[in-house]
Amino acid sequence: MIHFDNVSKRYAGGHEALNGLSFDVEAGEMVFVTGHSGAGKTTLLKLLGIIERPSRGEIVLNGADLGRVRQRSIPQVRRGIGMVFQNHRLLMDRCVFDNVALPLGIVGAGREETAKRVRAALDKVGLLDRERAAPATLSTGEQQRVGIARALVGKPPLIIADEPTGNLDPQLSVEIMNLFAEFQQVGTTVLIASHDLHLIRHMGKRVLVLDHGQLIDDFRPQAA
Amino acid sequence: MARARPQANRLREAPPANQSVPRQRRSLRARWSAWIQQHRESFRSSLRRMVERPWASILTVLVMGIALALPLLFYVLLDNARALSGGLREAREFTVFLQTGEGTDAARRFAAELGQRKDVAAVVVRTPEQGLAEFRQLSGFAEALDVLQDNPLPNVLVVSPMADSRVGNPALLEELKADPRVDMVQYDATWRQRLSAILEFGARAMQALTILLGLATLLVVGNTVRMDIQARAEEIAVVQLMGASDGYVRRPFLYAGFWYGLFGGALAVIAVGLVELAMRGPLLELLASYQNRFALHGFGWREPLLVVAASSLLGWLGAWVVSTRYLIAGRPQR
Repeated sequence: MIHFDNVSKRYAGGHEALNGLSFDVEAGEMVFVTGHSGAGKTTLLKLLGIIERPSRGEIVLNGADLGRVRQRSIPQVRRGIGMVFQNHRLLMDRCVFDNVALPLGIVGAGREETAKRVRAALDKVGLLDRERAAPATLSTGEQQRVGIARALVGKPPLIIADEPTGNLDPQLSVEIMNLFAEFQQVGTTVLIASHDLHLIRHMGKRVLVLDHGQLIDDFRPQAA
Repeated sequence: MARARPQANRLREAPPANQSVPRQRRSLRARWSAWIQQHRESFRSSLRRMVERPWASILTVLVMGIALALPLLFYVLLDNARALSGGLREAREFTVFLQTGEGTDAARRFAAELGQRKDVAAVVVRTPEQGLAEFRQLSGFAEALDVLQDNPLPNVLVVSPMADSRVGNPALLEELKADPRVDMVQYDATWRQRLSAILEFGARAMQALTILLGLATLLVVGNTVRMDIQARAEEIAVVQLMGASDGYVRRPFLYAGFWYGLFGGALAVIAVGLVELAMRGPLLELLASYQNRFALHGFGWREPLLVVAASSLLGWLGAWVVSTRYLIAGRPQR
């Protein structure tokens, strides 16, 4: 599913965010990426979404070499990834339904199909009754759940999340993480950047540990 | 929006996430309907956005309208002036005023004599009586003319040169001037040449003005769209992360540019129409003094359509340039 081979990323200012990173993620795996801030977690996710290009090395996602994907094909790659952000990045001038429907509008899905899939996604995150609400009227946890519904509405094979629980209290965080675990159970690959070690340990999934742009540990729980 | 079906049913219909179909393999028909769907959405949302920010929209449309109305107005004026001068150029007759001593019979003999010449197409005699009647009709000096005891007007010959003879026809002109029976020959060659030159200059000036103001409208739309883009930068970033193509991001702004152009162009046409209406009275009077040989050249149906089409295109183009620049600037670097 995901293949990193000796990947480095040096930013224009000279800062080396990733250095010789190599790992593989199988389809249907749920993987945490952790490390102190500035370790390269966010850069790793950005490379997957081709928000940044690698300076060196090879990244293969679903058979596509991300370093070589042409500009005009980038949207195609991104449509296969559901992205969840720390600050959810909902569009505040649109209702919950329209926010979740956004990825479907991009691929030009029909109205009926859109309605059906948006409601299915909202149902999964338990917000079916709030579809007409404005995001600003929701709690932080609910907003994040709308963001997750938006990420999964297009049924992407991969979901990546950057500190999805960064703004949430511990109990809400566990709820959100369990939600991600559910997606894994239906076959979606899930990659989550988080520095909440306690929560990561609680989830009992594979963990990639980054330090100064290098992979220092690839921890797989024995139980799995 | 379709009504929600029972919940259990919906959940069963949602296939598991890993069965996502690659988008490239969608049928042509599905892609076509997706394209239509997105255009419909952009069409609606772009109009909605204009209505949501009425002042900014109105201001842009006004500036565009005025910028477009200026060359347009110039064009209408020039067109009329040209028609007028064209009419003048056709009226190439010499007006030959005979000495007051020459009687009408002598005038007729002179006319017959001139009519024999190869370079003369026709000669018309205007007696002093005819002249007076015409003068009375045109000038509104009827009462003043009544006071006159005698008719002070001379006999006049209106000489039309052959159609192929050069404007100015110097030989004929010189002979007529030299003839002792002739008091004066009126012929406006110089004046006409000057008018032509002025009109030519006007046409050039209009072209330059059109280009400059066309450029201005491009900038106005570009600037408005740029601000629209900045206001929606977060939305653009988010949809791009979800796999929106450049075309998808650009589309609502192209529509917006198109609307600005369309409304601006329509406004310009209306403004020029109003000015035309205001000028109509005085202009018709002026034309009447030319014995109604010239009709007022107003707008037909073609010019307004052309103007609106051109300004819509300009708006679209301005939006395209700005949004494309924005998209290129945001591309990921290695």
